[in-house]
Amino acid sequence: MIKHIQVMLTALAIAVSGSTLAQPRREPPPAGPAPVNAVGRVLLQGADPTDKGVWTPVFGILDPITPYEQIPFQPWSKALYDYRQTRELEPHTRCKASGTARQFLTPYGVEFVELQDLQQIIIFDIGGPHTFRIIYMDGREHPQDWQHTYYGHSVGRWEGNTLVVDSVGFTEQFWLDRRGMPHTDQLHTIERFTRTNKNTMEYRITIDDPATYTKTFDGGFNLRWNQGEELFEYVCQQANYATELMVGAGAESVDRSSNIVP
Amino acid sequence: MQRTKFKSAIGVSVLVAALGLVSAPLLAQPAVHAKFDPASEMSIAGIVTYVDWKNPRAHVFVNVSDGSTVTNWAVELESPLVLRGSGWSAASVKPGDRIDVKGIRARDGSRQIWSESMTVAGRPVFTLKDLAPAVPAQKAPAPRGSDGMILLGAASGYWGFPSEHALVEDGVEVDVDSYGQLANLADASKVAPLQPWALALYRHRQERNLRDDPMFINCKPPGGPRQYQSDLGFKFVEDKANQRIFVMIGSGNRNYRIIYMDGRAQVGSVTGDDDNPLYYGRAQGKWEGDTLVVNTRGFNEDFWLTNGGLPHTGGLVLNERFTRTDMNTLQYEVEIEDSGAYTRPWKASWTMQWVPDQEVPIFFCQDNRP
Repeated sequence: MIKHIQVMLTALAIAVSGSTLAQPRREPPPAGPAPVNAVGRVLLQGADPTDKGVWTPVFGILDPITPYEQIPFQPWSKALYDYRQTRELEPHTRCKASGTARQFLTPYGVEFVELQDLQQIIIFDIGGPHTFRIIYMDGREHPQDWQHTYYGHSVGRWEGNTLVVDSVGFTEQFWLDRRGMPHTDQLHTIERFTRTNKNTMEYRITIDDPATYTKTFDGGFNLRWNQGEELFEYVCQQANYATELMVGAGAESVDRSSNIVP
Repeated sequence: MQRTKFKSAIGVSVLVAALGLVSAPLLAQPAVHAKFDPASEMSIAGIVTYVDWKNPRAHVFVNVSDGSTVTNWAVELESPLVLRGSGWSAASVKPGDRIDVKGIRARDGSRQIWSESMTVAGRPVFTLKDLAPAVPAQKAPAPRGSDGMILLGAASGYWGFPSEHALVEDGVEVDVDSYGQLANLADASKVAPLQPWALALYRHRQERNLRDDPMFINCKPPGGPRQYQSDLGFKFVEDKANQRIFVMIGSGNRNYRIIYMDGRAQVGSVTGDDDNPLYYGRAQGKWEGDTLVVNTRGFNEDFWLTNGGLPHTGGLVLNERFTRTDMNTLQYEVEIEDSGAYTRPWKASWTMQWVPDQEVPIFFCQDNRP
């Protein structure tokens, strides 16, 4: 049954992405050391303008980020997770931005851009709604009056060669991973990005959401460097196969006079 | 509710509040009158059942009783961004509250009402405010980086609140509102040197009150000059190390667009977008003194060139010039070359205002859709 669901999910992922890129595209070249900046700290981007690349997940994007047996579900979140295994139309397939681990589980990948003068690292998504996430590196704290968003509010710092990002202030309108891990707007995450060699970045996430899980727990996966690949224009709404589920699709106005079911 | 705009011969616009109507912030682009009939005023009173606090439009659902039956109405409001700036928090109206609503009804007769006036126990829930920042009395020079180049961006701050919300040829005077709707349809042929078919299509879109706008109906991106016509604005992020400038767009779905400064050919990459025509096109930029000059081609035909619905073809080429004339002002000039839709190249221009110390508003058109 699980295998059957996975086949369905794979078919859906291909249909939604409009491509067969759910699998790694090519064999990577032999891994050399990760590039470093002027002070010897590892870079999450290329070493110079000729060294371009984007990060894609190494494993199948449908794999859980934490083994099912190890996820400390609350009863309601376990029931919802189980339900989502049979109802795979997650918000991402309807062009919602999707934060935390889900941001990196897309076939086209992301680029990290470190902007020293702005004291920010911006993660640019190719897939989904083709948007971006800002990680503030200037030592600020999370604001008190933040309006909850898909990517939350992220502040980062370097611990050696590891980028550590603390985020809060999420909406509930996305899944934490491709399999459907739920959360509430109380979610707090700590992500650790460690580029261990030229071609590999370890991604670890600590999930802290007592309303959804009985204790904090970790998950993660590796990302692969796709040498030579660049950001390109991808617009989820252009030919989305789930348009029949979007209010307004093919209509003259967005009709809210009856309830819509997200 | 709408601002009426007269474009003067020297390209400077004057804002005039329409008679008897509030000057609304208009951060959200979808034209209200596309869905709602301004001649169909109505009031309802009832019990709130649900508040859907999402962009691009917040909704409050209300049970209205006529004594024997109860029906549920959807009250459509400005975006949460605007409402919050106008004194409303998501908790201002709660399920169970009894509210009174004044507004205009949906054209299709469904139980939907657009409202800019709502009271709970006689107390107004919000008062729409213009959210544009005050322009400093003293003009400060545009900032420059350590290399002496003009800075178009900053760690915080963005460009918003354009002086024009519709594309009209420089030197032409027409009465057009902030959604791009013409006061007089007869002016359609003056707006730009349209080919006959393009004029017919533009008139058709105008006659239908802009209700076919793909940016609203299906949340398609605001390609072309339209990304600079929203109060939600945009910001530049200059990635000099990689010879590119990102345009981070506040309207639509918080997309980004890349202006390449490395002189590359305007074609796609085989592993990326190949040679697909694009919403934002393929942009090549260079500096001419203090002006960023951008040439963009390779557009698709799946978006409206402007608020108001001017058409274009895949042959469209844009030549844009961005000049930060002082700390708070960005001059934008665009030349439109598209012999498929226009009889000759033509130009339009306007200014954008610097919004200091703020991130581009976080806004997703897709937010309140399933």
